[in-house]
Parts: sequence; C-alpha cells; structure tokens
Amino acid sequence: MKDLVILKEENCWKRIGVWGREIPRCPELKRVIHCRNCEVFTQAGRNLLERDLPEKYKEEWTQVLVAKKEEEFPGTLSAVIFRIQGEWLALPSRVFAEIIDPGLVHTVPHRKTHALLGVINVHGEIQLCVSLQRLLGLESEESFEDENRKRYERMMVVNKDGEKWVFPVDEIHGIHHVRPERFQNVPVTVAKAKSTFTRGIFGWDDKYVAFLDDELLLYTLARSIQ
Amino acid sequence: MLVLFFYLGDVKYSIKCEKVREVAPMVTLKKVPNTPEYFAGLFNYRGMVVPVVDLCQLIQGRPCEMRLSTRIILVDYLKDDHTPYVLGLMAERVTEAVRRSEDVFLSPGINMGEAPYLGGIVMEEKMMIQHIDLDLLPESFNFLPMLQNGLDNAQEQH
Repeated sequence: MKDLVILKEENCWKRIGVWGREIPRCPELKRVIHCRNCEVFTQAGRNLLERDLPEKYKEEWTQVLVAKKEEEFPGTLSAVIFRIQGEWLALPSRVFAEIIDPGLVHTVPHRKTHALLGVINVHGEIQLCVSLQRLLGLESEESFEDENRKRYERMMVVNKDGEKWVFPVDEIHGIHHVRPERFQNVPVTVAKAKSTFTRGIFGWDDKYVAFLDDELLLYTLARSIQ
Repeated sequence: MLVLFFYLGDVKYSIKCEKVREVAPMVTLKKVPNTPEYFAGLFNYRGMVVPVVDLCQLIQGRPCEMRLSTRIILVDYLKDDHTPYVLGLMAERVTEAVRRSEDVFLSPGINMGEAPYLGGIVMEEKMMIQHIDLDLLPESFNFLPMLQNGLDNAQEQH
C-alpha cells in the first residue's frame, strides 16, 4: 500500500471521491472502490474522536459502568411489537423481511376477500397487501384517528417460506425480547377472532401485547385468497 | 488473534485482546494520595473496585490527554490464589482492533531492564509497533502488592 498523506483538513471524499463530482476522480478509488474503504476517510473519522472530553460525558459513563451488566437470558423469544388501532400485537422477528413506509395500494377488482386490500410495489416486486385489522376483527376506534398518530404508520413485510405479505400497521414499536415464562394464556372469555390467532399474551410496560401465531395466521391467509 | 492498537503521544503500541474484557470510555477516577504518578485512581466498575494505570504516565512520564478517544482498557487477571481481578489501563486513541496472525509478534531479544513488559514488537507493513505484554505488566506496579504475590502476601505486609 502506498503511503497516503493525511491532512487534518482533508475532505477529498466530498470533492474527488464518491460524494463529489470533481474531475479528475481520485486515483485511489480504483483500488478501494468506495471511500469508506480508504485510509484517508477512516483517519478523518477517527480525528473526530480527538476532541476534548466533555465533563458530562465522563460523568455519564461513570454512572453507566457502575451498573451491573444486564444479563441476557437464553431462550428468549424475539418479537416485533406493533399497534393496530388500540391493540398492541406482536409477531416473531424471524418472519419479518422489512419495515417500509406506507406506499400506494392498488386495489384488485373482483376480489371478494374481505381482508385483502390489494397489491403494492415493494422494491419493484408486486406483493399482496392484507389488512390485519379486518382479518383479526379489530374495530376502528375513533380516538386513534388522531393526526399525530398518522405519522407512525408503517407497513410490515412478512416473509414466510418465500411468500411475502404486506400488512399496514398504525405503529411499530420495535424488537422486544420476551422470556417464555412471561407468556400468559389468552382468557377463554375473549370471543374475538383475534384470540384464535393469539398464541399468548405478555406484559410490556403497562400494556398487554397479544403474541400472534404466525403459522396459523399466514396459513389462513394463504387459504383465504386462493 | 485480535490485537488492540492505541497511542501514547505519537507512538503506536499494541496489546493482545485475549485478556481484554472491555474497552470503556474515560470515567471519573477516585484519586488516591501517596501513590505513584502513573496510578490514575480507582473507579467502580460494575460493583468492583478497579485500579487504573495511566500508561502514558508510566511509559512517557506525562498524563494522558483527556480526549474522547482516551479510553480505559479493562484487563482480566488472576491472582496467584486464582481469584480474578480487573485492572484498568488508560491510553490515548484507543480506536483500532485488528486481526493479526501469531507470527507478527516478534521478540527483538533486548533485555528491557525496568520495563520487561515492553519487550515485544509487532511487524505491521514494514512498521514496527511496540507490543506491551499484559502478563508482565503488573510486576512493575509495586503499589499494588496484591497484583504481584496474591492477596495473602498483601495481608502479611500489614
């Protein structure tokens, strides 16, 4: 490797590198392909750490290191928690392909299935878009039609055995690890359709989250649209 | 094996990562009077009292600059009676850990006298980087007798 002269004020990646348009291009690009593989860029990043240590930062870390490390319990279930209307639900993380911003759903004519909303373009592929709300029989609640809440709307892309499904949801909380012993059974008195798809309920903050049975849910879905 | 690079001033040094438990950011240290200058102080590390040695002060005779990249390398040791303890090593620009094969570690065959831990060299693309032997390091810390001879001896001296 050639010795590169690294200047303190260098910003070549913005001029002749991948984030710049100046010609001639940086000769190093042929070797490193992308600026992030280049010594100069790495060194510039490291130089950011050559700043004075803020007193607050030091104090904060003193407190952090006093605390015992949180042990991860083996055998926890990883679930993605999301919200539809007022209900918090969860699906196993492994079935998730990605979370995307809400896109335009094209309705499909002559489709009688209640839950099917239509098709949607995900990275150039056409995927089926299904309303979990209708499938699970969750009622619309007026109080959740708040404008502020709208901005949390997302679409979950679920991938099971190569088949992808897109579900619009009102909010995604993120990934949560649940210890298996925290699961409680669904009360038998719950007469909603939701309960048939629910494998268990677990407490999360001050709320209860219904952990959905992904196998049954997707199997039922596949059957219903055929 | 994983090798951690850091700087003391402008000089690059390396240590093996096998015994490194964690690299922590700089924290507030409790100063202890009447100890050597290179002993930076004590801090509470997850419920343990951990002594921190300022490598800059030890090797170069000036304290570490207080930068964001100045960090504490926490190293696992065993006392002679096999009870574990942790020692903190403060160094500058602790920003790089890389994989290197065992054969980059060379011994130039110099007797280092007062600093036996500084004997080794790491060859890195024609550059020679001094290597700090973590096993030999605590022997030079005579203010921490328990680190050398086990806790029993330390109690006898009282």
